[in-house]
Amino acid sequence: MSAIISVENLRKEFRYVRRRRGFAAGLSGLFARDIQTIEAVDGISFEIAARERVAIIGPNGAGKSTTLKMLSGILEPTSGAARVLDFVPWKQRRQLSYRIGVVFGQRSQLWAELPARDSFALLRRIYDVEAKTFAARLAQLVERFGLGALLDQPVQRLSLGQRMRCEIVASLLHGPALLFLDEPTIGLDITAKAAIRDFIREHAGMEGQTVVLTSHDTRDIELVCDRVIVINAGRIVVDQPTDQLRRQFLGHRLVTLRSAAPRIEISLPGVVRRVSEPHISIFEVDTRTTRVDAVVEAALALGGIEDITIEDPPMEEVVREIYAAATR
Amino acid sequence: MKSTPLPRAELAGTIAAALSAFGLGVRRNLANWPILMGRALFYLVVMAVLSALWDKVAGQNLPGTLATVLPPGGLTLYVGATEWITLSIAAIHLRLEDDIRFGLLEPQLLRPKPYLLQKIAESMGDTFARLLGIGAAALVALALSGRSAPPAIAFAYVAVLGVFGGAIGVLLYTLVGLAAFWVRRVLPPYLIMQKSMFILGGLFAPISLYPDWLYHAARLTPFAANTFIAGNQMIAPSAAAFGAGLAAQLAWIVIIAILIALVWRAALRKILREGV
Repeated sequence: MSAIISVENLRKEFRYVRRRRGFAAGLSGLFARDIQTIEAVDGISFEIAARERVAIIGPNGAGKSTTLKMLSGILEPTSGAARVLDFVPWKQRRQLSYRIGVVFGQRSQLWAELPARDSFALLRRIYDVEAKTFAARLAQLVERFGLGALLDQPVQRLSLGQRMRCEIVASLLHGPALLFLDEPTIGLDITAKAAIRDFIREHAGMEGQTVVLTSHDTRDIELVCDRVIVINAGRIVVDQPTDQLRRQFLGHRLVTLRSAAPRIEISLPGVVRRVSEPHISIFEVDTRTTRVDAVVEAALALGGIEDITIEDPPMEEVVREIYAAATR
Repeated sequence: MKSTPLPRAELAGTIAAALSAFGLGVRRNLANWPILMGRALFYLVVMAVLSALWDKVAGQNLPGTLATVLPPGGLTLYVGATEWITLSIAAIHLRLEDDIRFGLLEPQLLRPKPYLLQKIAESMGDTFARLLGIGAAALVALALSGRSAPPAIAFAYVAVLGVFGGAIGVLLYTLVGLAAFWVRRVLPPYLIMQKSMFILGGLFAPISLYPDWLYHAARLTPFAANTFIAGNQMIAPSAAAFGAGLAAQLAWIVIIAILIALVWRAALRKILREGV
């Protein structure tokens, strides 16, 4: 599969003047400036193929936003190369903008005082979309996202979840091949988050779009993306398929047993009981020591088991482990 | 696959998008009609105070004062026009400041049409809607006041010059807003610009009443083109002054637009290098 994003040894350093305390120091600073350099992105390289859904994650200040800005063309790198959809983003930002859709969870692209319909109409002009194509695409998105009744309400009267659905529709109206999503579910309730994730996954799958997502919500990553790039201190720490990453970094699975007895005890090496409610027992299994089926067998042998659930650990734990490993 | 438009289609597309943004600015003001009404009411209150003041000054009929220079009630009519323009100008500097300081600029830079042109067009739409709303209130108030009015042609001159004066105001405030790239908060440059517009633009009294040297100096600034040129038609309407005033306004629009383009280019270089 051909790469639609290719990044090679991309670096970005920011320079700023450190202010000195005190009047005299401040005055001397006018003549001899104390310039500090921060290496925000430190020589990263990767490729993203068409139709891939990739999460770029990392702690605050890791360099992921800087990377996204360079890939979308609003920041020039200090050195290195990148091509996005065959464009050099910071040199061909305008041409690239026709092919990408962007959603910034905390920054609205809609006009608050007006109905979303008016914003969409202006975006049609901004992206030079033919009226017929626009009408068909809008109708399809409105139906799929259940926006019918909301289109004519001023955006400022919509709930955050409703507004975010409108934001995503706005980013798709020009039919982009690549979607950049920056914290698309931030601040939403569980239902709204689920709706957004389902929509992104399904829409991107149907339209063959490539998705690059950043989020601090690990469920966004788990449920939307099939690959994770972890950035820390400006460098790529991990670049793996989501499932593989989860298993490699923890090697743990969670076995939840619902039982007639209030509590179940399993004594096997590498199996640790977690705090849980009566009649529900959660065991964390180190699969490098004990296989999950051995735990299930042991549980069934005890009798009175009503339900068994086997899950991967939450992504939060995976990410915490990755960061810990990166700093060791 | 979406391709990039050809240059001519690109220009047409840019103009269409700007017109669409202009329309959005107009619609936004109409949608917020209570705010527009409030603005018109404020205009009427300001005019009630200023007309009382200037009528009293004129009523003294003292030699060497304004009363001997201007037609009866002329000062009130003049200030009615200058206030009409001043209160209609959209606060584009605040919108630019918000976009720049709070990172709202970034998603908008990722669009194919020029961000600043879209913002200016939108603010022109805001200004135009306000000129219509406040202008209607002014005409109704003038009719109800029973004051003697200038000839009808003067209103036509003022309407045209007022629109272009408002456009100059939007462009001047755009320059103020762009200062946010360097100073973050635009209040200091805004205050300097606003006071210059008030004094050198002749908001409260025609600059033709200033000492000669000051009058000629003020005429050489864009501030006179912002308000004085339109207001002066209420006290000394003439086709020649209208033509000259319109030419001066168009010249200033071109000059300020070039200045804005240069500042924007420098700002864009800064953003691409340092981020927002």
